[in-house]
Amino acid sequence: MIAFEGVTRSYGEKIAVAGLDLTIPRGELFALLGPNGAGKTTTIKMLVGLLRPSRGSVCVAGHDLVRDPRAAHLHLGYVPDEPCLYEKLTGREFLWFIADMFGMSKAAAERRIEAEIANFELGEFADDLAESYSLGMRQRLVFASSLLHDPDVLVLDEPMVGLDPRSVRIVKDLLRERTRSGMTVFMSTHTLAMAEELADRVGIMVRGRLRFLGTVADLRARATGQGTGGPAVGADPQSLEQLYLDITSADGAGAPP
Amino acid sequence: MMPASPSADAALFRPISVSEESGIFLRLRWLLASSTLREMLRTSRLRLSLVILLSALFWGSLFGLFHEAFTFVDSLHAEVISLLFNAFFSSLMVMLVFSTGILLYSGLYTTPEARLLLTLPVRSETIFAHKFQEAFWFSSWGFILLGSPMLTAYGIVRHAPWPFFALLLPFMVAFVAIPATLGGILCMAMVAWMPRLRLHALSIALGAALLAMIGLAWMALATPRADTMSAAWFEQVFSRLSITEQRMLPSWWLSSGLIEAATRAKDGSVARHQAEALRYLAVLVSNALMLQLVGRQVAARLHRLGASQLVSEIPTRRKRRMSWFDEFLSRAGTARGRPLRLLIVKDLRIFRRDISQWSQFAIFFGLLGLYFWNVRIFNYQHAYAAMIGFLNLAVVGLILSTFTTRFVFPMISLEGRRFWILGLLPVNRDQIVWSKFLFSFIGGIVPCCVLVLLSDTMLGIEPWLIALHEVCCVVLCAGLSGIAVGLGARMPDLREISPSKIASGFGGTLSLVISSLFIIAVVLVTAVPVHLRFAAEERGLVTTGWTTADRGVALGLAAAVALGLLATFLPLFLGLRAFRRLEP
Repeated sequence: MIAFEGVTRSYGEKIAVAGLDLTIPRGELFALLGPNGAGKTTTIKMLVGLLRPSRGSVCVAGHDLVRDPRAAHLHLGYVPDEPCLYEKLTGREFLWFIADMFGMSKAAAERRIEAEIANFELGEFADDLAESYSLGMRQRLVFASSLLHDPDVLVLDEPMVGLDPRSVRIVKDLLRERTRSGMTVFMSTHTLAMAEELADRVGIMVRGRLRFLGTVADLRARATGQGTGGPAVGADPQSLEQLYLDITSADGAGAPP
Repeated sequence: MMPASPSADAALFRPISVSEESGIFLRLRWLLASSTLREMLRTSRLRLSLVILLSALFWGSLFGLFHEAFTFVDSLHAEVISLLFNAFFSSLMVMLVFSTGILLYSGLYTTPEARLLLTLPVRSETIFAHKFQEAFWFSSWGFILLGSPMLTAYGIVRHAPWPFFALLLPFMVAFVAIPATLGGILCMAMVAWMPRLRLHALSIALGAALLAMIGLAWMALATPRADTMSAAWFEQVFSRLSITEQRMLPSWWLSSGLIEAATRAKDGSVARHQAEALRYLAVLVSNALMLQLVGRQVAARLHRLGASQLVSEIPTRRKRRMSWFDEFLSRAGTARGRPLRLLIVKDLRIFRRDISQWSQFAIFFGLLGLYFWNVRIFNYQHAYAAMIGFLNLAVVGLILSTFTTRFVFPMISLEGRRFWILGLLPVNRDQIVWSKFLFSFIGGIVPCCVLVLLSDTMLGIEPWLIALHEVCCVVLCAGLSGIAVGLGARMPDLREISPSKIASGFGGTLSLVISSLFIIAVVLVTAVPVHLRFAAEERGLVTTGWTTADRGVALGLAAAVALGLLATFLPLFLGLRAFRRLEP
């Protein structure tokens, strides 16, 4: 459903993403982890068409993001780290704008808007102007808008920022439910615990390169040293964290994926 | 709670047509406009009424001015109109190319909305059309506000038939669309192909265009003083202005079309001239439409590429060390005053790095300087020159007041979100307010005093009057800074992050109104006694020594200083008191 093929992106002399080859199948929740400046945001920007690769290609549902961005965007939903709304539109008007952009029929749009308003508990403020929303309310509205057209691929950039625990729970339930029904989710996060809880596969990126790619079980196995020849440090959360820190440290010798 | 699944809705999305996309953006614009208008009527009635009133006043004054001018010019040379129109519209064309290019740069690439639209399944050409309409509106309203009184006055003076007035708006709109689209195309090409060079290229192009315009104005008007307004001078000016009469320029199509539309044949018939006018309008409209098609094609090819190029930009690294000026400012003086000076250095850095602030400052004061530099080409009588000097002083004050309202008034409000930083520092709140005042006062006093000195020198004003104008200028700078900072601290909006929104709220509008009244009061209390003194001098009533007229001038100056002290310290006192009690 998502395919990065030999993707490299440089900013002048600096290489932000180097030779990324990654395929994410339908119905998988993939979490991209890494320290600040690792290349996560650049990867996400290429995946949603905001940035073109210097080399290689990025495809969503078989559509190249550079050659056919409209076709690719029809299959995409995107929740950025800084939600953007029209301040002078109400939440409901914003949802209608998005539904219209995806060519949804009036009846389907009406049904889906009401459903997402209910899912994200937006009812109380859906008819207020967005300028009066808090960060959490904005984030919930953007989540609702990104799911309106039931995209094949949902891209999330630090999705839990600004959400209260109840909203975090709603989002987690929703991601599990949607991936079960075939949606592919690509999520960038700093939170190891969330990746551990939700992700089918995890990628750890350091200085533009994938240092680890595998399931959470693989990561856990590495943390316990099974089959890797690495140090046996136990499988508790602290050990996972330690492994993550080892992989992402400046001189960390993380094994190639 | 389990989220509702969309599984029942198979194939929810489909690609939409260009006309559907346009319809969606039209609905969006309607919703945004009506929501903004509703809010404005609810919260900013004072500002809205002021804008309408001042626009009507501006329109009426311009109409009166142009009516007089056209009556005068019409009686001298009929062909002058064509030259003036061509010179005016061609200069405007250059400005419209740049202003729309800059507006579209922001609309297409740098705003959060631009990023949102780039992630939706919408065509680049539709995004271009949507943002172009916005930029077109912003670019054209100024032209319509300036052009409509001028052209209406022209029509009335020329006894133009009614179709002239009916065709004014279509002519203006079709004309503006051409340079505006060119600006958009240039902007997209520059961002896509020269992303690194775009700022330099834009600065160079803007500088070159400004220089060309200054050169043109200089070439057209420069002449020895004694020859000004003579027949030879007019002839020379017209011959130099004829460079703007190029048949391939839209400004020529517009000028010729308007002149044809206003013309009657000797037998009073208008049909032939109207047909000719419509031909020119058709040329303008067809070129505007053709350029729109080109613009859309360019957008389809370059918009996403340019957006990607911009995202790839490496942020400019700043020097780790302080600049020598900041270093000097922060270290000069006593240790006790250092926090205050450091706050000023902080604001100075933010000002220097915010291109929108200093570029507007430079453009407005630069244009004013250009005008003052050129006032010398006309010979003025003694008293008349003094009055023009006062008017120029008022203009400097009014320009400064727009800056203090737009940039200084919101400064305290903008500290709202950073209040935890300042709140935890070992500085008291009074120092924060005083630092804003000093920043504004010192920042304003240098360019304003230089401009007033330039104006007075060019007008050949006597030294004592120059000194008086300079004192008034200092009074204005202090008062305007006091009003903006004091009211900004008295009525802060700590939730808002946009300085333009803070400035356009009730507090900002009130600050602008009080500033304008203060400027008028200071100029009047000093100008009237000076005028009376000159009148007395003409009648031979002023002899040597300290006369009643001189005492009047001194009294006027004292009143201006008193007004300045009041305008500086009363708002600051109110602001300081409110700011000490403020709970962010």
